Amino acid sequence: MFLAEIFHSLDSVTLEKYTDEIIKINQKAKEFGLVLTRDEIKNIIVSRNQVLHSYGRVELSVEVTKELAEVFCTSPYVDDKNYVSTLYELQEIFYYLKNETEDMIGDFQLIGMMKDYFDDICSGSLELLKSKLEEFAERFRSDTPFRKSFFERDER
Amino acid sequence: MKSEERCNNHSLVTQGKMNQARLLQNQYTISILNEGLRVGLLNSEDVYGTERQLMSILENLIRRYTQGESSSVTSETAVSILTSVLYAVDAYLLHFKNPEKAIDVLKNDNVKKAYEQGIDLIRHCFEETKQLYKEINHNKLDVAVEAYNITIDESIPVFLKKYGIIFDAHNTMASIDYPLAIDDMSIQGVYYLRQYLTHLKMETQFCLLFNKDDLQQILVNYGRICGFDYRIELFNIFELVLNNAIFSILSGGHASQITISINQYKQLDDLFNKLNDSQVQSIILKAVDRLRYHFNMKDPQMINYLKQCGMNLVNRVKSVVNQNRLEMVVIVEKKWRSKPIVTTFKASDRMSDNCFRLLIEKVMNCEKLADKVDVIRTNFRSLHDYIDMLNTNCLLDDEYEELFKTFGDVELAILTKIVFYEELRNGSTDLSSFYDKEEQHESEWQNHFIEFIKSIDINRKGTIKKYVNDIDYEEISFY
Repeated sequence: MFLAEIFHSLDSVTLEKYTDEIIKINQKAKEFGLVLTRDEIKNIIVSRNQVLHSYGRVELSVEVTKELAEVFCTSPYVDDKNYVSTLYELQEIFYYLKNETEDMIGDFQLIGMMKDYFDDICSGSLELLKSKLEEFAERFRSDTPFRKSFFERDER
Repeated sequence: MKSEERCNNHSLVTQGKMNQARLLQNQYTISILNEGLRVGLLNSEDVYGTERQLMSILENLIRRYTQGESSSVTSETAVSILTSVLYAVDAYLLHFKNPEKAIDVLKNDNVKKAYEQGIDLIRHCFEETKQLYKEINHNKLDVAVEAYNITIDESIPVFLKKYGIIFDAHNTMASIDYPLAIDDMSIQGVYYLRQYLTHLKMETQFCLLFNKDDLQQILVNYGRICGFDYRIELFNIFELVLNNAIFSILSGGHASQITISINQYKQLDDLFNKLNDSQVQSIILKAVDRLRYHFNMKDPQMINYLKQCGMNLVNRVKSVVNQNRLEMVVIVEKKWRSKPIVTTFKASDRMSDNCFRLLIEKVMNCEKLADKVDVIRTNFRSLHDYIDMLNTNCLLDDEYEELFKTFGDVELAILTKIVFYEELRNGSTDLSSFYDKEEQHESEWQNHFIEFIKSIDINRKGTIKKYVNDIDYEEISFY
């Protein structure tokens, strides 16, 4: 044992437990013609753990992955061909953004914002999404009035 | 923690199958897991189960930490929260006398319960600590020792205000400068502070048994022996008092007396030179007992503390007697100068910040050197303002010399004591060796001051040296 290593270890029991949780999203995803297999989910979780590790973050549940799968399955730009690969990318963007916005924005709000950018100004382009969110994070950190208005907008 | 005496024991004593020396006080749970696994009292399933339970506690705490906004945190935050969790589990496991009971807790999937009970223990300890602080603050010694006062007035209240039982239980977030006679710094968090305040309370109670003026005199004399300003130095007051009380008993004085005359010092010197090490130990510990009876002390913790400090003194005395430097431990009463020093520096005349700024501007705008010096000498009174003014670099090269020329011997001696504080603190009195040192001082004015002092005639240097030796730092009204 211990400490830092334990956060990123992933045993088979936990992997199965997380898979069971995420697979429930299929009920909603099916409405949009999307389905994740158990193996795909497992790979997404393994990838998520690597992303967490590389960004120096710890998450002891799969709430974010679940939320990403559930929110983005409704996007007109996501189909059965790119659903899995999009989720890989989205996980990476999410944790990057979490760090770059210094943990000031809640998970659901951040995911909601990612979805809005993705569907609107990015028209489903992950590259553009990354670039736009980088700009957003930069401004969010350095521009206090912008940050304030971001939170005020959210309150309304 | 509670078992300060237990867990720091690095002997190879084994209890059951576990080797106690391998159980670390600050990582008790982890060391129990490792040791339990090593000797077969736990298996890998037990360790895994404990890890899972700890992660489950941590998962909930991350949610709580982010106020439900986020399910992830940075690794640093996660490590810090987990350390806080383990501090609580440690607190619970440590409260068992037998480490094998701790094994039972871990074996029976009771980590969550251990955590909750640990939090209760920490909360209880925190309340005790706050109560101790109230008592100490109420009975604080009336002394000018900055570290003592700041620790009680500022540092400990900051700790009590900031301490977080859930997320920061392991943190000792206070800059506690005042050194205790005995202080186990390996302890962390609120258990450290409780230990610190328990010791400080005993030390304060003990010092309060003696005459306030005598205590004050000891501090002044101690500063003089060490050649420093006792008000700004880090040392333990209680030890000085205890040691002198012991020396008083050993030299025929009263137990409640802490002043030691020159004659008593001579007696002590003769006495210690006649005795061997074990006899020195014996008479010092007997003197500690006499103190105990004299003050009718019943608290076992206080008695034990005095004994430990008595043993520290035994070692100190043995060492200084061998080096023929007993005067470093016995604080001998100093004859007070009949006349106080007379200086033009007046502490009470310190000016406001605004006034100070305006005058500095005025000095800098003076074209003639004589006018500059005149503005300074007419308007500046307090030593504090003088030092601030010198540090602004509002004077140039020769101008320093012109200003220093207007100072009397006492003022120059006072500045010498400030410029050569570190050198004098180390016990050296040879001023000429200080002047000749090649090293640059931190401020420009100090370098000019040294040049000026070097240039004055030998007779005046002698007078200044005499004042340097005579003037105590507490006589310099700095504030």
